[in-house]
Amino acid sequence: MKGSWFRIPMVLAALAVALPVAAHHSFAMFDFSKTMTVKGTVTEFRWTNPHVALLVQLDPQPGASPEVWSMELTSPGNLTRGGWTRHSFKPGDRIELVFNPLRDGRHGGAFDKATILGTGQVISSDLRAAEKPGLQ
Amino acid sequence: MRLQQRTVRRNLVACMLVAAALMGIAVQPPSAASAPTVTNPPPQPKDWSALASLPDWSGVWTPNMTDQARRIKTDPVPWNKAAAAQIAKLEAAEQAGDPKGLFINCLPESMPSWMLITHNALEFLFTPGRVTILGESDGNRLRRIYTDGRGHPADPDPTFHGHSIGHWEGDTLVVDTVGILPETYIAVSEAVGIPNNGDLHVIEHIRLEKPDILRDDLEIIAPHVLTRPWKTSRFLFRQRAQKYDIVEGVCLQGNYSERKDAAGNAVFEPVPQTEGGNTLPPSH
Repeated sequence: MKGSWFRIPMVLAALAVALPVAAHHSFAMFDFSKTMTVKGTVTEFRWTNPHVALLVQLDPQPGASPEVWSMELTSPGNLTRGGWTRHSFKPGDRIELVFNPLRDGRHGGAFDKATILGTGQVISSDLRAAEKPGLQ
Repeated sequence: MRLQQRTVRRNLVACMLVAAALMGIAVQPPSAASAPTVTNPPPQPKDWSALASLPDWSGVWTPNMTDQARRIKTDPVPWNKAAAAQIAKLEAAEQAGDPKGLFINCLPESMPSWMLITHNALEFLFTPGRVTILGESDGNRLRRIYTDGRGHPADPDPTFHGHSIGHWEGDTLVVDTVGILPETYIAVSEAVGIPNNGDLHVIEHIRLEKPDILRDDLEIIAPHVLTRPWKTSRFLFRQRAQKYDIVEGVCLQGNYSERKDAAGNAVFEPVPQTEGGNTLPPSH
């Protein structure tokens, strides 16, 4: 972490966190012992295989310049089973974002969940809960 | 006059040969004509009717990822000494948070790793003489399993998914696959696995274990990296709700974002990524 990120609240997860799944690369480069909670504005939502990406401009600390971070998720097919669509986020959405950062400090992370501030809607990604047949 | 005719005929033949070459038509030597041509006969109504007696594998099948991870422990891979040493290094790198992505080049997960570690859904198509498995991701993720009684070619061209022949034993599809590229991985995760290094042979018994649970019992024979055949199983669960239908999955698409160029055309623009294939914001 660098710059203003030193001041972002960081919570050590008390319990083991279920790893998100990836179609074509490992998620081991994310530090699942660290959970970061931030506020920001969605700049782009890429609904593409093999990994959906959510780009968010984080609210800057006073005097700092805004930074865009990229959140990675699993595939559109898998997320659909979790109730997502390609319209789940749109540019301009104000959100509170919870994620696990890249270990190397670069501006990427594994998406955990987000709350759309305008509506209070919580969007999460728990594929393990959807490992059963006959979902409606 | 006769000489002129011969010359004209010779020139005509030469022109036809040149034209054939330009059109890409192979001019076969006479000896090739002696090899019998094997044709795929057109299916008859009875062949289509026979499909109705096969078990119902329709719908969308998603692998049970939790069980995939569990099976690596319960059915450990019998790596040979050299392979085990490489695997240990890859596992250590993954655990240290520096995974060596096996598939970040977006080549197919291939056989047998598609069956072992994929997280994406697949579907089965039954047609006369064939079972086809279509998957999500990789862009060209499919297996053609011939159930028309043919054998393997004597010298199949190696491919990512190999040459598969199958037959039904009751409600179980038995699939035999050879002709797989030696570069395809035997993988236990996206970051841990090594190439099969050739002579790979995969035998599968696929059947419904429960109405909506499909079981694939695999026997993986890889003499260059395993000390004995590796037997393990994978399970898939079925969805029928239309919203879970398989979507297009072009792996390389994730390396691009949708943009407009200076002329206003919709174009793909490469996105920055880490060495491990993670996307980064545009400023990186």
